[in-house]
Amino acid sequence: MNSQIIFHPFVLPFVLGMAFVLTYCVVGLIRVIAQLPKDDRKKFWRSLVTPKTAWANIRDLFGDCLFHVKIWKRNPVLGYMHSAIAFGWFMIIVIGHIMLFTLKPLQGVEVEGMARTFTNFYYPIFYKFFATETPVFAFLMDFFLLMIISGILIAVVKKIHSKIVGVKRVTKFGFADNMIRFALWTIFPFRLIAEKTNIMAFWWLYSIDLLIFMCMLPFTRYMHIPTEALFILLRHAGIKPSDPRKGYALAQIYSCPSCGLCIDACPMSVNDKNSGNTSAYFMKKLRNGDKEEAQRIAETCMQCGKCVEVCPVSIESCDIKMSQRAAVPYEIHSDHSYLDVISTEAEKSSKVLYFAGCMTQLTPKIMRAMKKIMTAAGEEYQFLDENGGICCGRPMLLSGKTAEAQAMIEKNTELIKQSGTTKLVLSCPICYKVFKEEYHLEGIEIQHHTQYIDELVKSGKLKVNKNDVNYVYHDPCELGRAFGVYDEPREVLENVGNLCKAKSEKELSICCGGSLGSFNLTQKERDEITENSVNDLMFNNPDEIVTACPLCLKTFARKSPVKVKDIAEVVESQIIN
Amino acid sequence: MKENILIIGGGAAGMEAATQLQKMGLTPIIVEKSEQLGGHVAQWDRLFPAFHPAKDVVEKMLNQVKDVKTYLNTEVTDIQRDDNGFHATLSNNEKIDAKAVILATGFDIFKAERKQEYGYGIYNNVMTSVELEKFFRTGHDARINNPKKIGFVHCVGARDVKVCNTYCSKVCCTTALKQACEIKEVFPDAEVYTFYMDLRMFGPGYEDLYLKTQKDFDVKCVRGRVCEVSEDMDGKLVIKAEDTLFGKPLKMTLDVLVLMCAMEKNKSIDAIQQKLGVANNTDGFMQNQDMYLGMNTTAQDGVFVAGACTAPKSLPDTIGEARSVATQVFNYINNK
Ligand SMILES: Cc1cc2nc3c(=O)[nH]c(=O)nc-3n(C[C@H](O)[C@H](O)[C@H](O)COP(=O)(O)OP(=O)(O)OC[C@H]3O[C@@H](n4cnc5c(N)ncnc54)[C@H](O)[C@@H]3O)c2cc1C
Ligand code: SF4
Repeated sequence: MNSQIIFHPFVLPFVLGMAFVLTYCVVGLIRVIAQLPKDDRKKFWRSLVTPKTAWANIRDLFGDCLFHVKIWKRNPVLGYMHSAIAFGWFMIIVIGHIMLFTLKPLQGVEVEGMARTFTNFYYPIFYKFFATETPVFAFLMDFFLLMIISGILIAVVKKIHSKIVGVKRVTKFGFADNMIRFALWTIFPFRLIAEKTNIMAFWWLYSIDLLIFMCMLPFTRYMHIPTEALFILLRHAGIKPSDPRKGYALAQIYSCPSCGLCIDACPMSVNDKNSGNTSAYFMKKLRNGDKEEAQRIAETCMQCGKCVEVCPVSIESCDIKMSQRAAVPYEIHSDHSYLDVISTEAEKSSKVLYFAGCMTQLTPKIMRAMKKIMTAAGEEYQFLDENGGICCGRPMLLSGKTAEAQAMIEKNTELIKQSGTTKLVLSCPICYKVFKEEYHLEGIEIQHHTQYIDELVKSGKLKVNKNDVNYVYHDPCELGRAFGVYDEPREVLENVGNLCKAKSEKELSICCGGSLGSFNLTQKERDEITENSVNDLMFNNPDEIVTACPLCLKTFARKSPVKVKDIAEVVESQIIN
Repeated sequence: MKENILIIGGGAAGMEAATQLQKMGLTPIIVEKSEQLGGHVAQWDRLFPAFHPAKDVVEKMLNQVKDVKTYLNTEVTDIQRDDNGFHATLSNNEKIDAKAVILATGFDIFKAERKQEYGYGIYNNVMTSVELEKFFRTGHDARINNPKKIGFVHCVGARDVKVCNTYCSKVCCTTALKQACEIKEVFPDAEVYTFYMDLRMFGPGYEDLYLKTQKDFDVKCVRGRVCEVSEDMDGKLVIKAEDTLFGKPLKMTLDVLVLMCAMEKNKSIDAIQQKLGVANNTDGFMQNQDMYLGMNTTAQDGVFVAGACTAPKSLPDTIGEARSVATQVFNYINNK
């Protein structure tokens, strides 16, 4: 048995760095899992062995962490940049290890036991110094190394001039982030030079660069590389963040690469001054423990969900912001004792149950249109809140007041169940979101009126004319991004007129600016958002803007050069009797 | 000294300023968008607080400006300035040179449709104060059919963050009470309600009008905002409000509902205003230099403002401003 080890002092910086980062990650992993609420932890373990989630895990670990499929879809240049670096690096490590096991005696020396384990740790990283490899491996290793370097070149270009790669705004970084980025950029060029020239200084530089990179990793945005893997597993387990800094949220905070894609996407960024309120910065504040700023941003956010939609890592920033709000006890004194005395006038029957909601009560045109539509379609219906009703609970939820919201939710549930209905139709996407997510209405189908009208038209119950008005459809955030209701309203509009496209549609639709979500945007800031959104909708010069949310309707009506209508009003005007 | 002074807008402010400037020996030129002079006052029947016929006032003013060069159905489409003064192009392609410009474009009425919860344009029997004024002038409106119960809603489009107008429109409280009395004169048996946030009876004789409204006309003034309006089976209006003095919610069926629509900045002048470099204030009206000594001047030398284009104003306020702007222009021309 030979206990000789293959060694050179320049491997030490790397070994040190690697040991540090591994320890840090393991401790972090244990911490995140320990912080999960008990039920979530159970869910997590179960998800790892459930075939469906296990498969999703594998798919996303490769697709997201290595190939960055989502970035490719949005911006191929950036997609290439990310996957070249991530996949190239991954392949170098994999091939390095394959070589380790194929070349059993290293440099003709039989290294075994502890010595072998220790050598294995760094051998693949510096193998060129210790061994001459076979031509196939040599080719593969060079190929992937060059691939990484090509990715880094794009990164350098992006840093110098981000517009070339199609990015308007990038996140502004502090010293640590800039420093580690510099280390990352130089690791592979140093390695290439060291491998090709075998100059000792470059082997040292390469190893020291790795040390810097790994020691700084936990304290910078690059921590997203190891964390994202854990985040994917947790996400697939179906967990929701319960604390803005702990457990699941912690994994998300460290998974955010601060890429800044959400900065351009956020509707608030029309005003450059407000681009600091975007999710990229929110995650940064959380990570730095800046609670005050995190709270401020959480309260400013309109909850439109566009950042979540464009996020290549699928960070659930809206949910984290909500848990941040819940962490602060707002002084809201609400008295819900009236709930006890409310009873329903609805008789017990299986008729369609229509719930207008408070916002729709303030836009009587929508209610009138809905009544006409249901009558014309020969539907038998009951109107739950014709003489006033109870709020769905969303405003209370938005201020993090779960218990208060729950009181209303329970009362509404009771009223709805009493009615005996099997279908609940809502006119307000805000209500729709709450009914879908927070209510337990088993056996009752919940529809927004866009879906309901679509069904009535398709089944032939509702007969409509087609006129030649050009409509553009605005996707309300809570109907579109939240539930993917994109096609039904468009199909309805195609039946009654011509549908033209907005500049940004569906997932990328821009919030109207009227959102209940934000507590502290000024009217002027909201107006800027509305104007930007209207301009986007006016892209193809439509005759009318159509939306499906009473709040969007009111907000746009103030700024739009053309008429703004709810989809129900448009359909109402085209009914054939 | 026959310098031209361009006055944009021929309402009360524009006409009165022209009258005074002419007396001072200057040459006012009025450019009026609509087909007649008089502005909004020409649309009113009787004026508060004394129920004086508006026609009478307008006719006197028209008589005073009969020699003033006036363009009707005309707008200013472009305006340039150089060392010699202002050079305006009109929509009829004529060109006017002037030494000073007075913006007197007044106000627009808040579009009641924007406050959809009040049901204007949705329910037949909801009307605006302007339409009611027309009824008093012409004696005809299909909605007013021997009504038994009539309501007035104050502050429609004013003092309301939800429509982004936080200012008070100043004259609608008094107008509402004036109109309440007038409708009682026509329909003595009708019950009349007004729904106010607080009554702003700011001028001489206005508070007396309020007392008269209650004593002589038995109008019921309810403190509280109307929150929703709907229609019942018979086409009658059902309103929901809160009586904040009694602390009770209230529901009432009415035959007619009148919305006291606020004054808003007249936006048709925005492009010219921008060319002249005159900004708007936070309420969206034109920004004058300051609220005390500079109410008729603007950030731009030689550009003046008068009347309801800078804020909601009553007719006496407007006349006062028109006279003061004439003095300001006179001094400006003489000190040049
Ligand atoms: C319902 C109601 C009732 C009222 N009743 C009374 C009352 O009883 N007593 C009282 O004291 N006050 C009353 N007022 C207030 C009174 O109407 C105003 O004080 C007065 O009209 C202001 O005059 P003005 O000339 O500044 O504006 P306006 O009357 O608005 O006149 C502006 C003129 O400029 C013209 N113009 C606008 N834009 C342009 C353009 N781009 N180019 C050319 N010309 C243009 C317009 O056509 C108009 O003729 C009432 C107001 C309302 C809303
Ligand atoms: S004058 Fe009266 S009605 Fe008009 S905005 Fe002011 S308070 Fe409201």
